[in-house]
Amino acid sequence: MAVTFKNLVSDRDVANTRTLLNEAIPITGSVVSGTYSDNNIKNYAHGMFQSVYDYPYLSSSANHIFDLTVGYSADSSLSSSAASQNSKKINIYSQMAQVLVGYDSDGNIRDFDRDGSLASGDKLKECVFINLARLLTKDEIQKGSFILSVATGAAPTAPDFSSLLTISDYRATTSYKTNSPAGDYALLYTSSATPNSTSGVGLLYYQAGIAVLTASVFDGSFGAPGATYDTSSIDTVLTGAQISSSCDGFRNRMNDLAFNNTTELNSTIYFCRANTSDFNYSSNPTYLSGSKIRVKEQETDSPISYVTTVGLYSADNELLAVAKLSEPLKKDPSNEFTLRVRLDY
Amino acid sequence: MGFLDNSGDIILDAVLTDSGRERLARGDGSFKVMKFALGDDEINYTNYNKAAASTSKDLEILQTPVLEAFTNNTSLMKSKLITITRTDLLYLPVIKLNGNLGVAKYTTEDVVLVTSDETTTNGMTIGDYLNGYDILGGKNLRADQGLDTNATPPTIQLSSDLVETQYIVEMDNRLGAIYSPDGTPSSVSFIDDDSVASYFFSRDGVYVRDNQDTTDDGGTQQVIQGPRGTYLDFKIRASQNLRSSTYLFDLLGSTFVIGSTTYKYIDTNIRISGATTGYSLSVPVRFIKQN
Repeated sequence: MAVTFKNLVSDRDVANTRTLLNEAIPITGSVVSGTYSDNNIKNYAHGMFQSVYDYPYLSSSANHIFDLTVGYSADSSLSSSAASQNSKKINIYSQMAQVLVGYDSDGNIRDFDRDGSLASGDKLKECVFINLARLLTKDEIQKGSFILSVATGAAPTAPDFSSLLTISDYRATTSYKTNSPAGDYALLYTSSATPNSTSGVGLLYYQAGIAVLTASVFDGSFGAPGATYDTSSIDTVLTGAQISSSCDGFRNRMNDLAFNNTTELNSTIYFCRANTSDFNYSSNPTYLSGSKIRVKEQETDSPISYVTTVGLYSADNELLAVAKLSEPLKKDPSNEFTLRVRLDY
Repeated sequence: MGFLDNSGDIILDAVLTDSGRERLARGDGSFKVMKFALGDDEINYTNYNKAAASTSKDLEILQTPVLEAFTNNTSLMKSKLITITRTDLLYLPVIKLNGNLGVAKYTTEDVVLVTSDETTTNGMTIGDYLNGYDILGGKNLRADQGLDTNATPPTIQLSSDLVETQYIVEMDNRLGAIYSPDGTPSSVSFIDDDSVASYFFSRDGVYVRDNQDTTDDGGTQQVIQGPRGTYLDFKIRASQNLRSSTYLFDLLGSTFVIGSTTYKYIDTNIRISGATTGYSLSVPVRFIKQN
């Protein structure tokens, strides 16, 4: 009997796999500040955060790459009703903390902790937050791949890029924390040689795609170019400047940011087996002249067909997926093959 | 669609079709791959050079560039490869429109005409058309299957493995529906995202019957010259929309003239495929409505 479909046997011809795909994401400092004269920087009327794009954001070609914001804890020494946007900075800190650190047993929001041990230890009460866009981080940041280099010290109108501070999640591939409600995270350090419980300068949340830096990493002067606080300390900036000005200051100190993202690919592989007697004839209109098969001279010649497409069908013959071969594949009774069709979800 | 890079190893470019995505989004378990078929849509077998040396007979075919996958489910897998265990076949069955025992094409336009309302039907001055208004009247659309060759006489029985036992008919569900020869509406198997309805007809003595006429009548009635298999017989009823309004005619169609009468029309194709043998026939159909 002639047939055109071949059934797939689920335990023999169908397999499910999960693979992790990593892409390198380099973000150069000149894109973040300079190249587009800040036309790629979007500030909002609410002033709670600042968005950074890879191209002037009014263009449809622009991609959102990350958001910046700053905040401090309600019990930070910087918290004061006289401080600029005081409640907004506290709200930002609280929001990030409740999502990333969670609550204690009394339902109070925990502060960010320097060594990740939530019950005790030094808390990070004044922070800069880098919220990376999902477009870049995909499913998560690959552990041990995050590198941020920033200029510290000196006035931001002329940051000293010859003296860079490199911040990374050193040793995170083997040492990371799991006590966050937002997934895995690791400590950020300024040197691969000295990671210990007291040398952390921030936290990196892999699935959330958020880097939290302690403000104290920026010693000396800090501020936005041209702002009142150019030559002031980070503490003065955090209390006296708006969130957007603090973000401007941080952006202008960024030299480089790089990480690898991770995409989790769940795949189903269909093994489409064409055995020796399968698929040797075609229903292609050009296959016949009248009713005579073109590729045969006489009955004893082997039938030949050429595969270009694999169609995957439902039980009621609806075409659900299709795979194209890059070149025609000859099929005749002298050969057989298995076409491995992978669908990713 | 671009061509696939064929400079290196053979690769497979796999995508979900639009209807596959739609079923996946439904989340009701209807996305389940149960079987596969192989296709050769790009291949032109007339390029097979039987006169050439053995190694170069199919040189041109193997150099055929292959297009990237379309996501439209109805644009792909138009010609499927067939599994027949025997390797000694020299002839394969085809499906042909039988305009002698069913409706014939209106030769001026090379289409099968389907009337959409009473006025149009009553005003027809030609005999060959499908009555899409009164399903009990008029002719049927008939497609015959068999070996269309005079190398084997029709008195020889078509080998049982070449007899088509099930037909799939696909047509635009916005324009019409399939009815049995006795005027009963056919049940649709599924309607895809492009409103293409698929009907399945098995060898049941109503839609699909054995062609028992073995006479060599020179083509006066039978269109298959050699051994004959089955034939498919059905009617088409114009949709309520076409019967009661001109909206779709104005949206999708144009006008033409038969004799001195002007008609609005919509052209479409009805695709008849053999589920067993894979051969398919595309019948150009024109729904008409008197202007």
